[in-house]
Order: sequence, then structure tokens, then C-alpha cells
Amino acid sequence: MSNDSSAEPAAGSSGSNESVTKIEPIRMPTIEEMRAQEVWNNCAVKSVASGVMGGGLGLMMGLFMGALDNPIMHDTMTGRQQFVYTAKQMGQRSWSSCKTFAVMGLVYSAAECIVEKARAKHDIINTAVAGCVTGGAMSARGGPKAACMGCVGFATFSVLIEKFFDRHT
Amino acid sequence: MAAPSPIPAGISKEQAFSMAQTEMEYRVELFNKLAQTCFVKCVDKRYKENELNMGENSCIDRCVSKYWQVNGMVGQLLSAGKPPPQ
Repeated sequence: MSNDSSAEPAAGSSGSNESVTKIEPIRMPTIEEMRAQEVWNNCAVKSVASGVMGGGLGLMMGLFMGALDNPIMHDTMTGRQQFVYTAKQMGQRSWSSCKTFAVMGLVYSAAECIVEKARAKHDIINTAVAGCVTGGAMSARGGPKAACMGCVGFATFSVLIEKFFDRHT
Repeated sequence: MAAPSPIPAGISKEQAFSMAQTEMEYRVELFNKLAQTCFVKCVDKRYKENELNMGENSCIDRCVSKYWQVNGMVGQLLSAGKPPPQ
């Protein structure tokens, strides 16, 4: 079995001020590490985690937007009533936003995972197809034309975001 | 990997040892070839991250499964052509 297990100690060059990175021997993953990695390889686990993260993000965004968007009516309500009203608006807004984003994250992650597993390749096509499925599913209520527009729009958006993140890694 | 099989009667210890050595060399060669083939086939050469992503994982699963199956089939065909041991 080809096994590189030679450890090279860090050869500190004379007169260098920076710390030299130590080269460590290659460690094969243990069976527990492999099992832990297998958990995240599962499509269901990944999509549920994405959905939860999307829900959290939607909650934050909804709270923020709801706080910004309150009509201040000094005449009709007292200060305390206004506060209660604003809080209720914020809560409704953030809950609906949370649901939207959670569904979006779940569908996108599930679609990308399934497509990538089926194709056995890591491409930009996976993100495009997953974006199309997500956009289409979310705007399916408006009829086939709205679904098509949603598909194209969200696919473009996800491809752009993926390319943006890819450049910086 | 497999449980050690008992030495058949009529074979000396040296012969058994050399057979085991041949078998070990064969296994090592098989593993190296398998890893090399599936790595070249499945993993993208522009190393962007250090972990295998899901597409590469499923590609490796399929590659190893197919390689092993073909290896078994070819081995069976080759051994079926040999004359039966006396």
C-alpha cells in the first residue's frame, strides 16, 4: 500500500524571521472520522441543515425589515400600544420571511445534492439546475410562465453567487 | 481482508510462503492500480479544496465498485481456463 509516512522536520533557513510551516506526515482518516464525514454526505441531513440555516437568516432579515418598516402613528395610539403593534408586525414579518428562506434553502440544497450525486461530477451545472428547481418551485403558484421566469432568474443568481465565492477561495 | 485459508495438504511450508508472498504482491499491485485509476478518473486536477466533495465521492464509489467487479470477473475467467489441480 502506498503510504507516505515520512516526517520532514521544518528546516529553518538561517536568518529568516517568519515562522516556517512544519510539514506533518499524512494521516489516514480513522473509522470514526469517516463515519462523521458520511453523516454530512447524506442528502437529507445536508438539506435539513441548510433549511435551518436559511430559516435563521430569514428570521434575522425579517426582524430587521419589520423594524424598519413601521408607520409611526402618534395620534391614534399611545406609546405602549405602538410598541406592541410594532412588535407584532415585526414578528409576523420575520416568521413569514423565515418560512420562505427555510424552504428556499431546503429545496436548493436538496436539489444540488441529488443532482451532484447522480452526475458524480462537481460542476457549475449542478448549481444552475438546483437554482432553476428552487426558483421554479417557489414561483410555481403564478403559473408556468412565472415558474419559468423564476427558474431562469434564480439559476442566474446562484451561478453568479457561486462564481463570486469561487474567485475568493 | 479475507480470513486466512488453511494450507492444502501436500504443499511444503516454503511453497505456501512463496504463494502467500505472490498473493500479497498481487494485492498491493491491485490496490495501487485501483487508487491510481480512480484518482485520475474522478478527481479534478485543479485542487480547490482539500476534502472530497460529493460528486467526487460518488464517482469514487462507482469507480471502485466497477473496478472490483471487473477484476473479479476477469479473475474467474482466467482461473476457469486453467486445468484442474491433480
